[in-house]
Amino acid sequence: MTAVQTRSLTKHFRDVAAIDGVDLDLDEGRVHGLLGRNGAGKTTLMKLLTGQVFATSGQMRVLGEAPVENASVLARTCFIQESQKYPDGFRPRDVLRIAEGLYPAWDRELARELIGEFRLPEKRPIAKLSRGQLSAVGIILGLASRAPVTFFDEPYLGLDAVARRLFFDRLLADFAEHPRTVILSTHHIDEVSNLLEHVVLLDGGRVVIDAEAEELQAAAIEVSGRAEEVREFVGDADLLHLQEIGALATAAVHADRGRAERARAAGLQVAPVSLQNYIVHRTNTAVEQTAAIS
Amino acid sequence: MRYRSVIDMHVVNRMQAFGWPPVVGALSLLLVLAIGAIVGSQGPDARAGMYEGMTWNGAIFAVLGPMIGYGFTSMGQYFPLALGLGLTRREFATGVSLVFLGNAAVYSAVITFGKIIEVATGGFGLQIRFFDVFYTGTGPAWQTLVQTFLLILGVLFLGAAITAAYLRFGQPFLWIAGAVLSMLAVAILAGIVLLDGFGRGLLELLTMSWGPWMAVIAVIGAASAGIWLLLVRRTQTR
Repeated sequence: MTAVQTRSLTKHFRDVAAIDGVDLDLDEGRVHGLLGRNGAGKTTLMKLLTGQVFATSGQMRVLGEAPVENASVLARTCFIQESQKYPDGFRPRDVLRIAEGLYPAWDRELARELIGEFRLPEKRPIAKLSRGQLSAVGIILGLASRAPVTFFDEPYLGLDAVARRLFFDRLLADFAEHPRTVILSTHHIDEVSNLLEHVVLLDGGRVVIDAEAEELQAAAIEVSGRAEEVREFVGDADLLHLQEIGALATAAVHADRGRAERARAAGLQVAPVSLQNYIVHRTNTAVEQTAAIS
Repeated sequence: MRYRSVIDMHVVNRMQAFGWPPVVGALSLLLVLAIGAIVGSQGPDARAGMYEGMTWNGAIFAVLGPMIGYGFTSMGQYFPLALGLGLTRREFATGVSLVFLGNAAVYSAVITFGKIIEVATGGFGLQIRFFDVFYTGTGPAWQTLVQTFLLILGVLFLGAAITAAYLRFGQPFLWIAGAVLSMLAVAILAGIVLLDGFGRGLLELLTMSWGPWMAVIAVIGAASAGIWLLLVRRTQTR
């Protein structure tokens, strides 16, 4: 079943199209990565899907219903945004207590465990928390809510590597035990690449990639060797990226059938392209194409 | 029943919700009592003059004042959190309306009770006025109850409506509202200076009887509530 569906979804802020005709189908019970550069439209898309902002045009459905002003949908949707504002004087324990009353599947025990693991000072005013501690509040809320659809928008800004690992491990463990739909926006693509099952890449408010993560991880190869040989090998291939340093060159190309074998036969070194590098290459390609059109 | 969470949000800061208004109100009353004791020691004439002059004593705003800010805070601080936690705008509006009604009911009852005691004890034995003043009504106690209830409720909805308009329209709203109010002030001033009878008419209008004044406050409050409800349905988070 589809957890999130959008058709020609568009959001304009004055003359800027933050979301531009987006068509998406995100299956239920999976971890989806919503990737893209700053300003690509990730946060706006999440805000649209949780009814925080209104669409300029198009349709959207979350858990089969329109989400705007729909208490039945919003009670099953949790949106953790990095820019969430909290009232003066609020402490983490206040936010978690109020959240407990709003999410029917709230797991108090899990919340308590996570507070300890993230070393969150729950009685300290939120205004006095560090950026990382503030992120921990959102992560605890998002995980403990056990909402059937959970949006994490850059959930770990300011978190150290240990805490980030803790988040990924906890998310994976909890997801395995209580499957639900997770939509995760992040810039740390390699850190979550093993977590993602499906990837949506946004650029300029448009969907550039909508594919299975596994498919993308095998979508390109990196060949390196003498610049002349690399250029000759690349030839008319679908080139993603070419970098030359002196007499050496490295190229990222789409991994068509047999291309890796042909590269090895030509005496070139072959390496897989990480999901993060693939996304970077594809984003740059999209930018170049847009520049060429305009 | 999810609107209960909105009420919960408003009472998270217990000192702000329940503590400071009575503390500040009590300190303000103590100050007025001290003034009453000092002036009263100068003799009956001074005491009578003070009693008359204190009809305009604004010390009660130590209690009413925070209410003005409460409307702004509800919309400015609690609205983004409410939406962030998955509440609908309708649920938020229901919760906030109940918070406003509760505040207006409690504070108007407290002020009326204070006025009854103040009147019965001759200004707490010192001929002072704290609760029995122009702003809360110097008529019968029921009038004070109605007046303070309408005043507090109107001010709360007005604050929420102003903040909602700011969230909806941004900085231009403040500039346009400021310009309109300035032009209105200039127009009234010009009318007083340039038009015969305008000033007298304005004074008559401002000194109209209690009933019409309550109608004016009620209309302002109802209009503010209506505008706020209209705006909050279309307000987006930033």
